[in-house]
Amino acid sequence: MRRSRDRTVDKRRRSRDKNRSQRSEHGLEHSRHNSTNPTAARQFGPPQSRQVKQLLEGIGTPGAQTFKPDPFQLEALAALEFEDVLVTAPTGSGKTWIAREEIRRLLDAGRRAWYTTPLKALTNSKYQEFTEEFGSDRVGILTGDRKDNSDAPLLVGTTEIYRNQLFDSLRGGSDVNADLVVLDEAHYLADEDRGHVWEEAIILTPPRIRLLLLSATIGNANEFAAWIEEVRGVRCGVVTRPGARPVPLRAAMLLPDKRLLPLLTESGKLNPELARMGQQAGEERRGPSRGHRRRY
Amino acid sequence: MKLSMPEMPPATLLGALGQYNLLPAIVFMPTRRRCDQAATETASMRRDSNDERREARRDFMRSAVEQHPEIRGHRHWDTIIRGGVASHHAGHIPAWKLIIEKLMSAGLLEAIFATATVAAGVDFPARSVVLTGADARTGSGWRQLTASELQQMTGRAGRRGRDNVGFVIAAPGLHQDPQMIADLLKAPPDPLISQFRATYTTLLNLLDAYGNFAQVREIAERSFAHREAALQITRLEKAREESRQRIETKLKEAGCDLPLSVVSGFERLVSTRSRLQELRPQTRAEVLHRWLDEVVQPGRIVGVGRSGRRLVLITEKRGGNVRGIREDGRSASFALERIGRVYAPLYRLNDEFIEQAFADVRKRGQELLIPEPRLRDAHAEEADAVGILDNNIESILPPQLHPEEKLRCTETLWSLLDDADEWRRTLRRIEQRRDEVWEPFHQRARVLATFGYLDFEAEKITERGRWLADLHIDRPLLVGEALESGLFNALDFHRMAGVMAALTADEDRDYGELELADALVQALARFEDTGFKVATEEWRFGVEPAPELNFSAAAAAARWANGAEWSTLVYETRAEEGDLFRMLSRTGEALLQIAGLRKAHPEAARVAAVAGDAVRREPVR
Repeated sequence: MRRSRDRTVDKRRRSRDKNRSQRSEHGLEHSRHNSTNPTAARQFGPPQSRQVKQLLEGIGTPGAQTFKPDPFQLEALAALEFEDVLVTAPTGSGKTWIAREEIRRLLDAGRRAWYTTPLKALTNSKYQEFTEEFGSDRVGILTGDRKDNSDAPLLVGTTEIYRNQLFDSLRGGSDVNADLVVLDEAHYLADEDRGHVWEEAIILTPPRIRLLLLSATIGNANEFAAWIEEVRGVRCGVVTRPGARPVPLRAAMLLPDKRLLPLLTESGKLNPELARMGQQAGEERRGPSRGHRRRY
Repeated sequence: MKLSMPEMPPATLLGALGQYNLLPAIVFMPTRRRCDQAATETASMRRDSNDERREARRDFMRSAVEQHPEIRGHRHWDTIIRGGVASHHAGHIPAWKLIIEKLMSAGLLEAIFATATVAAGVDFPARSVVLTGADARTGSGWRQLTASELQQMTGRAGRRGRDNVGFVIAAPGLHQDPQMIADLLKAPPDPLISQFRATYTTLLNLLDAYGNFAQVREIAERSFAHREAALQITRLEKAREESRQRIETKLKEAGCDLPLSVVSGFERLVSTRSRLQELRPQTRAEVLHRWLDEVVQPGRIVGVGRSGRRLVLITEKRGGNVRGIREDGRSASFALERIGRVYAPLYRLNDEFIEQAFADVRKRGQELLIPEPRLRDAHAEEADAVGILDNNIESILPPQLHPEEKLRCTETLWSLLDDADEWRRTLRRIEQRRDEVWEPFHQRARVLATFGYLDFEAEKITERGRWLADLHIDRPLLVGEALESGLFNALDFHRMAGVMAALTADEDRDYGELELADALVQALARFEDTGFKVATEEWRFGVEPAPELNFSAAAAAARWANGAEWSTLVYETRAEEGDLFRMLSRTGEALLQIAGLRKAHPEAARVAAVAGDAVRREPVR
């Protein structure tokens, strides 16, 4: 049985967001805002209707905040002590933080980790990030054409290279020496060309090694985790960021006359004004009286 | 609901966004060229009035040049400094993209014009993302954005700690569709779908590790794809069990004590009978074609044309076409239908015997002729077969049955035809799904066995297979065969770079039209020959052959390995920098792989190491 982690986290978030805005479960805000944010009153540009004011309410930069980890991040860290973890959350919501903290804990305890990414550019930037964080003597990098400090306790590399190391160790070469493997951008599993490499990496990683998978939001996270559990014989928890987005999102349409309209109504439907425009445009296109075809 | 409106000029668009305080923004554009145009156009129309930020950008770029000298004099240099806008897509080299990303993070840019590819990978946020349409461009046209793609894009809106709110703005465009965007925003994320597939590398490595096919199969069947199949197999097995029970109940109700095998056997005989009657040739031409397909084979002499006087000795038959040698020694190829006569003897396809073979046919033609079938004969044969089936159908019931019982049970068997058919089909579907994941591995094992990388009977990889398993490269078999045939040994390092580039580059991307040196063309032609041999075997075993070689990549890579300056290469090929970079970088990796074969192929490994160094120099790393 999988525990439902979302509930408690949701409650905490709700209380925090109470004064901000109404938010749907997709993290998308609709056009009603009871904001008390001080920057909200600032006025920009052309005269604005009430609708637009509401739409733009609260725009701006928040005051300086000390970093405080999100509940879902702490939850993922706690779960990693006992089981594999699949974290699904959108880019920029702090998935890497979880990996970094877990790696820090392991390195401090004299243990080892592997961090894989799908792209060379991403590998390079993670390598830089980790050397700044943990010191260059503790981090190594392995890509198709770069091999530095490959005995370091933390290795950063492409998923292909990690998979190849698994092959080598199965064929009697040196063992994969790690206590944790992080698969960043794990949704690459669905990549037409290279996805099989991720599956092979998951299937062939020895069960004694803890797996942390970081993925974009996907529709079948529980099914994915159940599969990992089956093939590895190790429990795999799912941690999903509730409310989907770290920063709320609003949608608008800019018209040729530079008017800005909310894309959605309070109930999440298409703004009727836009719906009307679309209908008119459709009728014009179909209009029988025009002697010539309108060109677009 | 399309809302087609002319696209705003990019400078106007940014002006409007600026009025609402919606900058900085990432503006998604359908093509790389449109991104570049929009950035340049904006910079020429609209100067960033903030002197301080302009200076900050200048300083930033100047210090960046020290680290990445290859970006000096980039064609978008002024665009960035003056306009505070940039374009960002796969056509730029990574160093350049990195600088754009850093400028954006530092808050020094107002807008970035990007293709959808920027949505994946590196973290790169803004206050707003702007979409001019709800479509995505693919290699072959347009298609709708998926929910996940839109989510990747909107994931860039709103910088954590720097924005209270992020915005997704639908801007005017010819393919704009606010309803679609509204729907996609609310849609649940797409599910992760397995793309598991068999590769030579995986097969060789797993077989070497586990020592038998059964265990490799077991591993393959742990894939996410097979999990789905396994669930379906369970469902199918349940359905099969249900139809078995249905059949048994009906038998019992009719009072027929018959085993399931009789029901199934009866159904198969009846369905075979009806299929046979459907397949019965209806016209003379059809009868003739089948006959020709059967009797025309390499080594036989045939008469071509209506009269059948022109003789040809058949050497090859493929599909509906044949090839052969004419009496005058020239070769001929034609459609099967054009053959009028076929002579019975099989002659050896040896030069010295050919003349004698033709003489033989000229002399004793009539007696050697194979008689043509007649439509009536053909029908007679079919009728025979149907008769045999009828007898079997007749006698499938146990002989000791009472005539009345026999009648009742025959009726029941006819009424159970559909159920029995389903029962059999379900079994076949179960078997198909069971083999789905393993079959492609099995096919590849066959191919590898024909080339001696794997001993199929012993379920072991050979000495040759061992180094091929270590070769982590696209199309390992082709490279392996090229190495085995000594093709690489004759190459100098820049031609080797060219050949490997032709192999690793995207098949359909154009890397310019540099002239290919004759020696390089020859090398590529020999490589293609090897490729054809490999593809023929792959085709035979049902493995999809690899794509074609990319000649334009070969020319560019050879030029680069030969010491061309980066700017010269970019200028001469007129290819996009980012494309060149990726192609050369992958070529370098492939060369390093070959350089690792020091034991199995020392000479090729030595040249590959030199070629690898020649390719992997700044900015290609």
